[in-house]
Amino acid sequence: MAEFECRLKKYRQLKDLTQEQLAEMVGVRRETVMRLEKAQYNPSLKLAVDLSRAVEAPIEEIFVFE
Amino acid sequence: MKQKTKLLIGWGVLCVLLLLVSSWYAVTWNDSRLVVPMDFQSYEFQVKDLPMILSVSRACIYGITLLITLVFSGCKQGKQLEKTNRTRKLNPKLGCLGFLGFLGFGGFWTYSVDGSIFPFAFFLFFGFFGFYYEGKMSGTFMDERFRENAARAGLKASNIAFSIIFLALVILCGGKLFGSLEYTLIAVIIVLSLALALRTFLSEYLLYRYDHDDHGVESGD
Repeated sequence: MAEFECRLKKYRQLKDLTQEQLAEMVGVRRETVMRLEKAQYNPSLKLAVDLSRAVEAPIEEIFVFE
Repeated sequence: MKQKTKLLIGWGVLCVLLLLVSSWYAVTWNDSRLVVPMDFQSYEFQVKDLPMILSVSRACIYGITLLITLVFSGCKQGKQLEKTNRTRKLNPKLGCLGFLGFLGFGGFWTYSVDGSIFPFAFFLFFGFFGFYYEGKMSGTFMDERFRENAARAGLKASNIAFSIIFLALVILCGGKLFGSLEYTLIAVIIVLSLALALRTFLSEYLLYRYDHDDHGVESGD
């Protein structure tokens, strides 16, 4: 899997959302959000776009590839 | 739904009781006709055969009804799961059905008695141990990571099972086992049954492990 930095936690907290709320908004389990925040899961393009819309931040700001 | 299940079980019990009573009647009063194997080409109907005929017919109708009901309820449950996007609900205790796999050892006995080898296929039932892990994950929401893990687990399980089958076939097809082709074929049946059981079990176990390991490295908010 490609290594990347995930800033989802930061943007989620800026929006004052819990992992559970964000998970519900994008249609995944809370465990998946946890995994994403630790950059241990490489999401599909659709999920990445959904997350970007949910936290209102550009994809390239949330997922930073070296 | 529960009432329907109770009704089905009740009819099943009734059918078994009627079969037992009619068998007892046939053995006691009707020279065991239709109970012991007989030549149906020279069969002539007798009134005393009626209890046995009726109870067997009832049991057959019950069997067909049960089969149709199970198929319909299975389809209905499948559609419902597709709609809710959750894994099917299953009791982990059903994993105990895996012990039925030990019936496979009965093959050694039946082979020595009448040469039949089909009970060796019962080793497949060891795969039912996977119900334990499937039950532990029942009702789980199937998001994209879950589906990815399920595909990964299924692929790995298939790889392991087919590697075992391939190796076993290479070894077994190299020559006769104990100098007998029959023993070789029995060994092939055993290996195939065990490998397919392993595949069934591993796909559930690995899926559980992938999901469970994720929980181990994660923290809450």
